[in-house]
Order: sequence, then C-alpha cells, then structure tokens
Amino acid sequence: MNDVFSVSDLNRYVGEKLAADPLLSAVRVSGEISGLKLYPSGHFYFTLKDQDSQVSCVAFRKNAQCFPFLPENGISVIITARASLYDRDGRFQLIVYQLEKEGIGDIHADFERLKRRLASEGIFDADHKKMIPLLPQRIGVVTSPKGAVISDIIRVLSRRFPNFNLLIYPASVQGLSAAAEIRNGIAWFCEKKNVDVIIIARGGGSAEDLWCFNDETLARTIYHADIPVISAVGHETDYTICDFASDLRAPTPSSAAELVMPIKMQCVDHILSSRKQLSRSLLHFVTRKKNSLLSLSSSRAFLHPRLRVESEWQRLDRLSIRINDSMTHKLSWQRNYVSLFAGRLDALSPLKVLTRGYAIATDQNTGEPITTVNNIYANQKITLRLHDGEVFCRAMSQSEEGTNNGNESY
Amino acid sequence: MEMNPIEKITYEDAMKELEGIVNRLDAGDGTLEESIILFQRGIELTKLCSDKLEEIEMKIRIITEKGEEPFVAEG
Repeated sequence: MNDVFSVSDLNRYVGEKLAADPLLSAVRVSGEISGLKLYPSGHFYFTLKDQDSQVSCVAFRKNAQCFPFLPENGISVIITARASLYDRDGRFQLIVYQLEKEGIGDIHADFERLKRRLASEGIFDADHKKMIPLLPQRIGVVTSPKGAVISDIIRVLSRRFPNFNLLIYPASVQGLSAAAEIRNGIAWFCEKKNVDVIIIARGGGSAEDLWCFNDETLARTIYHADIPVISAVGHETDYTICDFASDLRAPTPSSAAELVMPIKMQCVDHILSSRKQLSRSLLHFVTRKKNSLLSLSSSRAFLHPRLRVESEWQRLDRLSIRINDSMTHKLSWQRNYVSLFAGRLDALSPLKVLTRGYAIATDQNTGEPITTVNNIYANQKITLRLHDGEVFCRAMSQSEEGTNNGNESY
Repeated sequence: MEMNPIEKITYEDAMKELEGIVNRLDAGDGTLEESIILFQRGIELTKLCSDKLEEIEMKIRIITEKGEEPFVAEG
C-alpha cells in the first residue's frame, strides 16, 4: 500500500474502475442542460445540473446523430450515459449515448388518460362516425399552405381525378396556436357548409410537433362537426387524439387524398359496366320470361284446354254417331210404320174389295158414286168399276129392297 | 316501387340503387312492365352518375382575409 502512483496511472486506474462498474456503464440521470457547446467535429459538450450539483457530459457525433431532438440550454432531460474519467484533466464525465426530454413520460400518461376519458364519453364511437362521401363535389383541407403536405395532396388528387375541387383553410400545424387554428378551420367549414368532407393534414414530425393534435377541444370539435373529417397527421405509426376522434384516419396526407377521391377512370368504367349489366339483366329477364312461357305453354296447365277441345270433339263425334244411329233407327222404324199403315191402307182400299167381286157404280156424267136406287133414273149411264176394269151400262129398271116384285120397268 | 326524385340522389346512393336494380332484374321476379321500369330507372341513374363525375369544377382555392383566392402550391 506504499506504492506511489503517477497521476496518469491513478487516472487510468480510476477510469478502469468506473468502466468496470455495472451500474455506471448505463446510468440514467436527469438534469438541466447548460453550457452547451457544439464542436465542428459534431460532438456536443454540456453540463448537466440540478439545484445543487453538476456533472460534465459529452455526446459524440455518432450518438448525437440519433438524438430525437437537438439539445438546448435550459431544457430538462434524461440522459443515458456511462461514467468515465477524462485522463488529461482528471475530470469525471458522462459519455451520453441517449437523450430524452424529461416529462415525456408524464405526457404519455396524460395522452392515455385523455384518450380513455374521451373514449368513455363516446367521442371515438364507431357508431357516431360519418360516412365519407364516395364522390365529394368539394374537399376542404385544414393544413399549412406551405410545404410538401399540400403539394402531395394536390398531386395525388390530380392523378386520380383531374377535375377535383379543393378549398384550403390555412392553419398552423405546429406550436401553441395550432390546435385553435385547426379547430377554427373545422368550425368555419361546418358553418359555411361549402365542402363535403374535411381533411386535417400534417406531415411527419416528433411527438412534440404533433402534440397540438392531442387537443381535447379539437377532438370535441371534430366529434360535433356536421361534415365528415379525415385525420391525416404525421406518419403511419403516429396516432393522435385527432385520429381517434375523426371519422376516418389516413396514415399519411397522401393516403388521405387517395381515400377522399376515387379514381375517375374506374368510376367511368364502373358506370359503363353497370349500364351493360342493366341491358344484360333485362335481356336475361325477358329471355327467362319467354322460356318460362314456353315451358308453361307445353305444360299440362296450358295443354289442358287443347285436351279439352279434343275430348269435346270426341264427345261430339260420339254424339253425332249416336244421333246418326238413332236417326237411322227412327227412320227405319218410321219406314216400317209407314209400310204397316200402308198395309192397313191397302186393306181399306176399295180396289181390294173389288177383287172379291164387288163393283162401284158411278154416274157416267157426274162421276158421283151411286149409293142408292132412289137416284137411278131410266136409261141413266152408269159405270161399273170392277177390280180389273170398267163396264159401261144403262139402267133398265130398278127395284127397292123389300118390295119383292123384282123390278120396276122403265 | 318507391323511387326518390332523381335530382336529389347522391352519387353513392345512385350506385347503390343501380346495384339493387341489377339484382332485382337478375332475381327475375316481378312483371315485364316492372322490369322495364326498373331498367329505365337504371339507365337514368347511370346517366346521373356520369353527369356527377363531370360536373365537379376543377378548382384549387385558399381562404384568405379577402375571401377565396386561387392557390398555387410551392415547388
């Protein structure tokens, strides 16, 4: 223990001790930056201090390049560093390789609290979200009129739909007044009712830059807006309260432009194909009706009347045969009847009687039958009709039945 | 069949109704007269949609204190 160290040996020894300590190889220290110096090499030198103490810090260029923000005097930060001893000065220092803003943890907690509260109020409810119109006649954009964001939106819209109509409400999208300006833009569009959809657009930036989009009043303004709102804030991985409250979240401003306007050529194609489809469907409809008519007309239901007609014909045929038959029958019966009566007439005919030796006497002049002797006069010419001919006679005498004298001479 | 007055229909409602009409025609129920009315309505709707695509006025404007003014993007 009596060994005498050189200064260099001592500093090296302490340096090695510090480097070997597990805790000091990655220690997180909070404090305020002061005495900041940036060297042309890209290294940062500053002092980290709190109320009572201070410590020297150095951030070499390769680490400083990865810092999420530029160190500034007066800001509170948390550094992650390893302890070392600067040999030349024998000065204790921290080699910084990570830098965070102090309080960022609290900001995240605030964000989550606000998000939970608004969600429980229904500000983010899917049911409340308005439909984005398929074809907005005019699009409102709340954004900075400077920079790439508005140019990107215009470029994408022009590519998709050459005749779009865009109205820009200029607003700061970063800083203290940003949230209020964006709110005013939404309220202005809603009051004027001069657009069909509103896009809130902002390019990528740090969490601090995008902080204005976590404004509670902005969330409520979006919720109560009558016009659908698309939120397009930051990059794809950035989520803000504004995104949750809006009717649609677009990952980037360019994709908001894609979501808000259809591709015109596709619309034209769709309309044309709809028209063709209409004609095809009508033709199909008519063809189907025709076919069902055809199949109906060949079905029993439609065949039935024809069957009935045919069977009626058959019935008629049968009937007519029967009528014919019965007529023939009747006629033949009548013929028999007639011949029967003719027989009887025949029997009644005087001519038939004559064959049995009777004769009919008629007056030759008058042709009147002579039925009594009282009408006979002398030399009266009488015709006697026998069954096979006539005899012409002259009356010579007559005698009346019952007188018995035989005759009365003329 | 209930039909809204054609001039009050939005583009998406027209496209939706058009789709419905095609489906109804394809379903094949209804009379020939109805289907002809549907077809005519469909043709009117396609015309309405085409008109709506063209009636959008190409305009980029920005709100200023003086009102709306033409806007030209930087760069």
